[in-house]
Amino acid sequence: MQIYLDNSATTKPRDEAIATMLQVMSLQYGNPSSLHSWGQEAAMILETARLQVANLINGVDSESIIFTSGGTEADNLAIMGIAQKYSHPKHLIISSVEHSAIAEPAKSLEKLGWEITRLPVNTKGRVNPLDLKAAIQPNTVLISIIYGQSEIGTLQPIETLARIAQSHNILFHTDAVQAAGRIPLDVQQLGVDLLSLSSHKIYGVQGAGALYIRPGVEILPLFGGGGQERKIRSGTQAVPTIAAFGIAAELAAKEISQETPRLMGLRDRLFDLLADCPYLIPTGDRLYRLPHHVSFILSNDFALKAQEVTGKTIVRQLNLAGIGISAGSACHSGKLNPSPILLAMDYDKNAAKRGIRLTLGKDTTTADIDWTAMVIKQVLTRLIPSCCHYADVK
Amino acid sequence: MFQRPIYLDCHATTPMDKRVLSAMLPYFTEYFGNPSSLHQYGWEAETAVQQGREIIANAINATPEEIVFTSGATEANNLAIKGVAEAYFSQGKHIITVATEHRAVLDPCEYLQTLGFEITYLPVNSEGLIDLEKLETAIRPDTILVSVMAANNEIGVLQPLKEIGEICHQHQVLFHTDAAQAIAKIPLDVQEMSLDLMSLTAHKVYGPKGIGALYVRRRNPRVKLAPQLHGGGQEKNRRSGTLYTPQIVGFAKAVEIGINNMAKENQYILQLREKLWSILQQLEGISLNGHPTKRLSGNLNVSVEGIDGAALLLGLKSIVAVSSGSACSSTKIAPSHVLTALGRAEKLAYASLRFGIGRFNTVAEIETVGQAVLSTVKSFRQKAVLG
Repeated sequence: MQIYLDNSATTKPRDEAIATMLQVMSLQYGNPSSLHSWGQEAAMILETARLQVANLINGVDSESIIFTSGGTEADNLAIMGIAQKYSHPKHLIISSVEHSAIAEPAKSLEKLGWEITRLPVNTKGRVNPLDLKAAIQPNTVLISIIYGQSEIGTLQPIETLARIAQSHNILFHTDAVQAAGRIPLDVQQLGVDLLSLSSHKIYGVQGAGALYIRPGVEILPLFGGGGQERKIRSGTQAVPTIAAFGIAAELAAKEISQETPRLMGLRDRLFDLLADCPYLIPTGDRLYRLPHHVSFILSNDFALKAQEVTGKTIVRQLNLAGIGISAGSACHSGKLNPSPILLAMDYDKNAAKRGIRLTLGKDTTTADIDWTAMVIKQVLTRLIPSCCHYADVK
Repeated sequence: MFQRPIYLDCHATTPMDKRVLSAMLPYFTEYFGNPSSLHQYGWEAETAVQQGREIIANAINATPEEIVFTSGATEANNLAIKGVAEAYFSQGKHIITVATEHRAVLDPCEYLQTLGFEITYLPVNSEGLIDLEKLETAIRPDTILVSVMAANNEIGVLQPLKEIGEICHQHQVLFHTDAAQAIAKIPLDVQEMSLDLMSLTAHKVYGPKGIGALYVRRRNPRVKLAPQLHGGGQEKNRRSGTLYTPQIVGFAKAVEIGINNMAKENQYILQLREKLWSILQQLEGISLNGHPTKRLSGNLNVSVEGIDGAALLLGLKSIVAVSSGSACSSTKIAPSHVLTALGRAEKLAYASLRFGIGRFNTVAEIETVGQAVLSTVKSFRQKAVLG
């Protein structure tokens, strides 16, 4: 039995996305900038996808969608594209639980003399809007707060935060890569100016993402070249991949009203099934949480009893049992460093190496959840004989 | 279904080879993991990425660690030029490139100019080739990079990479080439050509769109590169972002097929081009743009005197998909900067056609297109005479 519970790392592309992509690859292979009919067909596909992606977030004007190679590029474009407009260093506010695709560009701005404020979070990973208010300075030009955190699943009060930014005339960006397709997003209601999306987290294929840019917001490109995407993003568009993104976005929008509660049900079921295991401490916020996201750290107690155990130990053990999960965000899983996200939430250095994350997807069933809960208990039991044997736990 | 025009625009993009598509498919449906993940799904993807990296490295005589995957050649060119500029500016702020480069090289250079860099744009002769002496005299103590494209996207001209590489190597200046049009079409060898950086893309060699690579030399010298996309630290911190496993698999397959059949395929395509050229030469006032032999076998770029280029394209639209210049710039109504650099009069430059012949074209298609161009041009001229 193979169970994939790492949908925050990447999702299995859905059949409709693959079918669309295949058709475009084999038939409509023109370059969308070409003036002949092959090019025009490709351009039409591109515009359809733009509309589909815009609809997913209620971006009324499809021109507000700029296609990129993925979420990382969209995040970089948002931060650097705004920052480049200023010849002198300014002030940027982010949270202390951003994905590295925001945290790293912020660091490189810092090297250029920018002031960066990293808003603290509470023990559940939430930003306090009052902290944002207090952090705003006359030279603040951009605020970027992640919508749904990839490691701990916590959702931020984006609408409230964006309103604060708006009332100070400061641009507001959110990385909604994990949130899109999983919770309804409406850029009009949220009041955000920029929002990042990724195709491969919503059952599209890897290699496509988008940045929503509110009409009227000026942004400079990261790359120079042929001037595609309204001169904001040069490079031949990956039309088949973008077409798959479009169909994935359309279907996500259609299914969200049923899929979100279904995922939440499974998520809570997994939390509940593991609630009696004293060595697994849920991380993040139980209420304000991505619907597909379950995360824990292994308790100090467990670490004392099972020497040298990290989140990775559990990942490997579960993998042997045919279950794919992760120890943090996939991008960092090659490193053994403590998670900066858990550190920001006041876990100590050792605890911050003991995070595990299970992220559910549209193919996840109740049976998968029940089986996974059982296997986790078995794995923990093997590491410490007394763990999770309900009868044995005092 | 309506009859689609014959596709002769392989410099803009190419149809995907079915073998490439079949190689990619399992990585969408079965092995869809994130190559950075630590479980089975991740390892499967990582293995595929690693194999792809090896194939592409082998194709240019590099090592796998020297390949950085990007979203395409535009990103690779930007990474090479801005990445080197950012890493080496303390050693100098002078870069040499060529007037006929792709916009994805010219634009980052222009951007660097705004930051105080000096750019020398080498001229080309009437056949599109650079003068090696001019290159050598242009090199200064503060020159940090020379960027010369391998094969031009409009006129297909092949620059003498080996000789350029030698000059750069002698003067200890980094050498970058945009090989987007050249990979798997002409032999490329980073050792023999003393290349330090090379941009590649898949969708010009029957591979998928949205994937490219930058070769970055690691030894003699070890090229320093400031990353331009920041994040998860993939690609040894040189390019962040989830790796696109299926596209990488497709890219590698496309390169592998191209390399394995290079000689035979070039011969076939060359024969098609010569056929087309021999038909078109029947027209009066037609001339070839670019060097007659030092060019990509699939490229034929011609100028036709006294014809409105836009009208000609429109007239041919239902029969053949060609372009008047590079696809990226096709929405701009301006004479091609490449043809202008050859010293072509602006008016002539307007009436130019770029044919990009590829793997899947046939002799019959070439004949149809040739005859269509002949009759369209002739009818335009007749109309002009009749007033």
